[in-house]
Amino acid sequence: MEVEELNINLIGARILDPIQKLDCVQDLYIRRGKMFFEQPPDDDSKSYRSLNLNDHVIMPGILDLCTHTRVPGTSSTESIFNISQSAAKGGFTAILAMPDTLPQSDNPGTIRYIEDRIKQSSLINIWLTGCLTIKSEGNSIAPLGSLKDAGIIAVSDSPRSCIDSQIFINSVKYAKMFNLPVIEFPQDSYLSKNGNAHVSSFSLKMGLGGLPSIAEEISVQRAISVAKDLDYNIHLSSISSVGSVSLIRDAKKRGIKVTADVTAHHLILNENAIEGYDTNAKLFPPLRGEKDRDSLQNGLLDGTIDAICSAHQPHPSHEKNVEYDKAPAGAIGLETCMSASIQSLSTKTDDPYPVIVQSLSYGPHKILQLPQPAIKKGNLANLTIINNKENWTYHPNTELSEAVNSPLINYDFQSCPVLTIVNGQIIYSK
Amino acid sequence: MKNWKRSSLLGLEDLSKAEIMTILETAESFISQKSNRISEGSLLKGYRIINLFMEPSTRTRVAFEIAAKSLGADVISITGEASSLTKGESLKDTALNVQALGADAIVIRHSSPGSPLLLSKIVDVPVINAGDGAHEHPSQGLLDIFTLRQKLGDVKGKKVTILGDILFSRVARSNLFGLLTLGAQVTLAGPSTLVPLEFEELGAKVTHNLQEALTDADAVMLLRIQHERQSATHFPSLSEYSKMFGLNKSVLDFMKKDAAILHPGPINRGVEIESSIADSDKSLILDQVSNGIAVRMAILYLCSNVRKKI
Repeated sequence: MEVEELNINLIGARILDPIQKLDCVQDLYIRRGKMFFEQPPDDDSKSYRSLNLNDHVIMPGILDLCTHTRVPGTSSTESIFNISQSAAKGGFTAILAMPDTLPQSDNPGTIRYIEDRIKQSSLINIWLTGCLTIKSEGNSIAPLGSLKDAGIIAVSDSPRSCIDSQIFINSVKYAKMFNLPVIEFPQDSYLSKNGNAHVSSFSLKMGLGGLPSIAEEISVQRAISVAKDLDYNIHLSSISSVGSVSLIRDAKKRGIKVTADVTAHHLILNENAIEGYDTNAKLFPPLRGEKDRDSLQNGLLDGTIDAICSAHQPHPSHEKNVEYDKAPAGAIGLETCMSASIQSLSTKTDDPYPVIVQSLSYGPHKILQLPQPAIKKGNLANLTIINNKENWTYHPNTELSEAVNSPLINYDFQSCPVLTIVNGQIIYSK
Repeated sequence: MKNWKRSSLLGLEDLSKAEIMTILETAESFISQKSNRISEGSLLKGYRIINLFMEPSTRTRVAFEIAAKSLGADVISITGEASSLTKGESLKDTALNVQALGADAIVIRHSSPGSPLLLSKIVDVPVINAGDGAHEHPSQGLLDIFTLRQKLGDVKGKKVTILGDILFSRVARSNLFGLLTLGAQVTLAGPSTLVPLEFEELGAKVTHNLQEALTDADAVMLLRIQHERQSATHFPSLSEYSKMFGLNKSVLDFMKKDAAILHPGPINRGVEIESSIADSDKSLILDQVSNGIAVRMAILYLCSNVRKKI
């Protein structure tokens, strides 16, 4: 792949990396991909490209904890290259690919195939998740040891949850033996069977429903009990209800090892987005009420929720352009995740960026037990750079993918990822 | 028609009082001119109305057919199970095909909530909702209100109880929206598993006590219990339902003497209602069926007329 030899001077941006005790406006030099705070003395300054970045924020590279790549899958239009391009455009330097591929990521062969595709065509770091149970059907434990040998770094049945608690407990116990992070998508499938919307007066009026908060909360409580019993961290993916937030808050207070993330869509939208039976706003878990959204924002601010994810799920338009109850759930979100998160948190705090760094960079890396991409002298640059004062309107890029299934089409944002640097190379520049 | 600007009827939720009254008054005029079939028979002459019924229906489909024919339109019914047009095809493609066959209006019955709205965005002819999942059944709601008004006069301030499976009922929703717009007080009643409290946020009173539901009611609208779907998951058995929520002679003791009884059909005799009560003079069930034709004539006429002017 064509990449640029990177000697660059980033001038006037706010550099934010609280772990490195960095929060200041300062120039940042990148020489042959490595970071310096002053121009190395033996350098010829002419060899640097200068970028004036007033009103920009430079942060450690962000990682998406939940991308459904659909590779391998049934769609001919999704590819690792497209996904990595969308991710780079959204500021992501890394993503975690979910195991709901076709065939499912429950065998080393599939994992090796995906790794091969990644090596050939990815612009960013793509980490792999293996199934927790075979085909994510919840009937038997997947070969987690062999999957780890093949290269996975976490296990999950997302977007499903193992309904049999005995198999779930044994799967987590087995994963603990390999120190593999377990990502649980909390949903009691008996309670959410045939559901298509949050249960409320709003959905009742539309003749929809079937996805009550309690279907998620029962499963969150189970994960908390299992995490306590096994003394092993369970990460709860895409939580969406006020009840889940308070269960996790209480569990953390009691010292139980649980972590959680929320999708950017759940931070910026509520159930009203499905008005007119908009299948692009049909998500799983569903968009819920304003009280739920409010509690998710508060959960991020007080540290109950550790991360924000995109839950990126491409569906070609012919799949979405059908009756609401027949449309698959899920939305694309890599390109809007950062801007939507900033916009949502800006309604709660004057400076959302520390929480953004925490929930899109530190949190995800920590949950996956990966080293933090620190902004440190001599380190290879893995950076996400945001223009904090750029108004833009989201239109999905039809050249990148056939999937345009976003509930944020035509949404106006006030900040935008403009430069993404992975392993010292600029992989996206607006 | 001054108060009617819509070319499609997708539900009662968005209709104003004036719009509802326009339909009811137009239906009334068709009933009073019943003997004069010739003049009505030319109102939609040359129109091709397609009934696209993707779910089983007898009453509604036949009533729409008779209504369309009474107005002089040609009517073709396509039913889900009988048609290769719909096999494995998306609603979008089916709709485009139906339009290409020269439909001047489409009447649709479909199991998916919101499908008439989707259809109306795809085709540029009037779309009439004949029932979409658990969402709305506006023509049924209108004929129920029409029948209630025949018996009670203005429904403003009147107490109407809807009893039975409210959760899955499109009839309940259309009646609720229409009756509230006209100022009636609506009580929704039935087992707690089938009548969620969230309906109170929409303006109804919710109760799970039959006596409380019926004592002051000016009219009781019964809904069919869909036992094939809900028995064991939402209530224990038909006999228990009948005992707890069925309309039987002992219940009549605490109802108003002149309270009206309605049912959209098909009736499960001995379950929602005791057979003799269904056949008694309190029952308006057959009035509902015959009023259904006039109300559907009014809907087809009004929507097609707006379309003509576009």
